Amino acid sequence: MLLSLQDVHVHYNKIAALQGISIEVEEGDFVTLIGSNGAGKSTTLRTISGLERPSAGEIRFKNQSLTRLPPDRILKLGVAQVPEGRRVFKDLTVLENLHLGAFTRGDQAAIKSDLESVFGHFPRLLERSQQLAQTLSGGEQQMLSIGRALMSDPILLLLDEPSLGLAPIVVEEIAKILLEINKRGVAIVLVEQNAELALDLAKRGYVLETGNVALQGEASSLARNEHVKTAYLGI
Amino acid sequence: MELFFQSVINSFIQGGFFALWAVGLVLVFGVMGVVNFAHGELVMVGAYTVWVLHSQYGIGYIPALCIAVLLVMFIGLLMERFLFRPKQGDPLGGLINSIGVLFILQVAALVVGGTGPAKQVAPPFPGTLIIQEFLRIPNQRLFSIAVAVAALLLLWFFLTKTKLGWSLRAVALDREAAALQGININRTSMIAIGVSGALAGLAGALMAPISNIYPTMGHNVIITAFIVTIVGGIGSLSGAVLAAVLYAFLHTFVTAYFSGTIATMCGLLIMVLVLIVKPTGIMGQKVSE
Repeated sequence: MLLSLQDVHVHYNKIAALQGISIEVEEGDFVTLIGSNGAGKSTTLRTISGLERPSAGEIRFKNQSLTRLPPDRILKLGVAQVPEGRRVFKDLTVLENLHLGAFTRGDQAAIKSDLESVFGHFPRLLERSQQLAQTLSGGEQQMLSIGRALMSDPILLLLDEPSLGLAPIVVEEIAKILLEINKRGVAIVLVEQNAELALDLAKRGYVLETGNVALQGEASSLARNEHVKTAYLGI
Repeated sequence: MELFFQSVINSFIQGGFFALWAVGLVLVFGVMGVVNFAHGELVMVGAYTVWVLHSQYGIGYIPALCIAVLLVMFIGLLMERFLFRPKQGDPLGGLINSIGVLFILQVAALVVGGTGPAKQVAPPFPGTLIIQEFLRIPNQRLFSIAVAVAALLLLWFFLTKTKLGWSLRAVALDREAAALQGININRTSMIAIGVSGALAGLAGALMAPISNIYPTMGHNVIITAFIVTIVGGIGSLSGAVLAAVLYAFLHTFVTAYFSGTIATMCGLLIMVLVLIVKPTGIMGQKVSE
């Protein structure tokens, strides 16, 4: 087991955002969390990364507890996140953004080879490497945000709504790259509003409803589930 | 004409000091989200340190200056660790704590130096550079501006060319996204306030031989730093430096031809106008989200 959440509760002030979520991710897995707005998908990712503190429950990664670790320690263990809204550093150049993704690493040769591999995935970032991140289009900023996360050489990659606000052709391109990244052995947890896309990419899925896991299973069987079809796939 | 040329020279020297005062304030505000009201007192402590060590104990000016830089940096680090860190995410709490430090340091200065007339430090670099009969620059001021500019260039190099500098800017731009890159926010805050304190200590040590030293000299520093920061665009270091030079020209010329009080009034008036007309300042950007 690579990552496990056991009965995790999170409260914002006194409002419960997560009410006992249990999720498991294997090495090299591709898991998606789907659900409507406010179901707790983003909160789950934020809690794994240490941006929120669980009020109860346990999060383990490679048999180590993450529950009380700060975000920088969690990143160092190999959990990177592409946050909702891309959150690139707009006043820094593309190259500086990517180097900050590798902030905790010291091995210059490995950083250089990962930088080349990111530019391999996203050739447009290479063309724009000296530009400020704020001059990039939405799709390019999303690519930069993913590239920045890859620069930490993660074992597990968390993605929060990477398709949000992007043109279908860009979404397709990013989906293709996520599969490539997963094929190279990086486990992925994908949070998506676009359930159709998410269930198409992922191996397994969890359906979150009001801070609980309502359904879970193989992505393909979830896609055939009547409740999922009517509630999330609009069929 | 002589007054004019002399004022131009003085403006550049003033501008160096204004910039040195303001960038430390901007850095701490950007990285930590705290308005450090005690920043002017940190400058004052730098000046007092030189007065005590150099004028009272006869230690050389340059060693005294170095000690002032380290001492004020250390005070800054203590403030971060014990006053600002427990108030993370609470800007008002941090601000009130910094006001407490302001009074403590003023009283400490009274204890060390006593009341009475303002202290003065005899210039360790006496003499005057005479370029033209109407254009004279005292060596002490020349030394101050050279060191101030060097410090600002060093800061610029640090923030734009080193990975550690990028991490400071990243935290200022987006704390959470920075934390997600493995940047330790507490350590970054220590670096920011350490640099800010060192610059404040340096400014005080450079001012010691060319201005009056008294416990409340920080008032002028903080007012000027606020004007410069707001006009330059809160959170923009380049904006602060540009605004510092512009404001120094205004302040020096109005002081030369009218009076210092009117000059400060003009500055505050401009600050208010900027807040009404373009609250983001001349170089500032809208904060997204």
